[in-house]
Amino acid sequence: MIETLLIMWRESLEAALIVGILLTYLARSGERAGMRYVWAGALGAVVAAVAMGVASNGAAARLGPDAQEVLQAGVLLLAVGVLSWMVVWMHRNARQIGGDLRRRADRALATGRLVGLAAIAFAAVFREGVEAVLFLWGVVVQRADASAPALLAAGAAGAALAAATAWLFFRGFAFLNLQTFFRVTGILLLLVAAGLLTAGVNKLIGLGYLPPIEPQVWNTAWLLRDDSVLGALLGALIGYRSRPSLLEVLAFSTYLPAMGWALHRADVAARSASERGPARSAA
Amino acid sequence: MSALALGLLLVLAAAVRAEERSVALAVAEHGFTPPEIEAAAGERLRLEVTNQTAVAIEFESFELNRERVVPPGRTVAVYVSGLSPGRYEFFDDFHQERRGALVVK
Repeated sequence: MIETLLIMWRESLEAALIVGILLTYLARSGERAGMRYVWAGALGAVVAAVAMGVASNGAAARLGPDAQEVLQAGVLLLAVGVLSWMVVWMHRNARQIGGDLRRRADRALATGRLVGLAAIAFAAVFREGVEAVLFLWGVVVQRADASAPALLAAGAAGAALAAATAWLFFRGFAFLNLQTFFRVTGILLLLVAAGLLTAGVNKLIGLGYLPPIEPQVWNTAWLLRDDSVLGALLGALIGYRSRPSLLEVLAFSTYLPAMGWALHRADVAARSASERGPARSAA
Repeated sequence: MSALALGLLLVLAAAVRAEERSVALAVAEHGFTPPEIEAAAGERLRLEVTNQTAVAIEFESFELNRERVVPPGRTVAVYVSGLSPGRYEFFDDFHQERRGALVVK
């Protein structure tokens, strides 16, 4: 029972932390209405994870474990793609649109970015959710030490505890002033995306679809162990691993400059477009 | 450009894939069988992890940088390759008393 609770707590914490970043970010930027999107992404992922657990478990399994892993990697990469595209697209359009169009466009742009955030929430919860469902399923079926409802309650309590932990963690950021906070969370959000990208790449390497190039570029376990509190926290948030492969390091370290470059290009394109259409630049 | 790079990686992966060795690794109530696997440095291994218990397990290794959930009664393939000599421990994250190691010589 206690073990079930603890494992569910640990499994849910990563997802809760990422959803926590997204919600805190929206709450602090005064976009409380946008939090719906993040909740929808997270709850959609819970439903999808349960569906996947049912499809890949038991005698009537329709989904092989490898196909399931490929699907999870796909969800991670797709979510990072959606968020990145939305951020760049927003950046480009926000500059082009001025004057009367502004207010109407603002709503569309805000919705666009929220879809990106919802995609990240979905991927983060789905990734951990599938594991949690498979774990809980097994425990309930075996029922070694308690009844099924009691075990499910223990699992739910573990997940709730994870949500509370994440809430406390983000409450801790409340003392930061807004400007500092935005600088921190804006960058943190991109680091989260880079971490999810790396996690997707790690899955494809484990499946044998991608070569690690060099299986272990460095080993920082002496400095920060994967199973220490800080190591696990950084692992959950930005995909810290003490012994990453070269391909993972490349994926992580090219993501941020690539985003910078895409944003810069969007800037240039928007500027030349507004020079060509002077009517639109009158704000 | 990134599509080209990805294509190149897939071709590379397919080329490397040809020379792999499969190793069966069973997980029962008492732990991993065999508890220790030996491999040559640089070898590409396909670890076939079979969960013989009635509960999901999670094959995990910080040293190998791998993590896979295995539903009861199922087998998953976990690839590792290009390893330097050393001892790489793995465990079942859902039942941490179950431990084993890959010894690369």
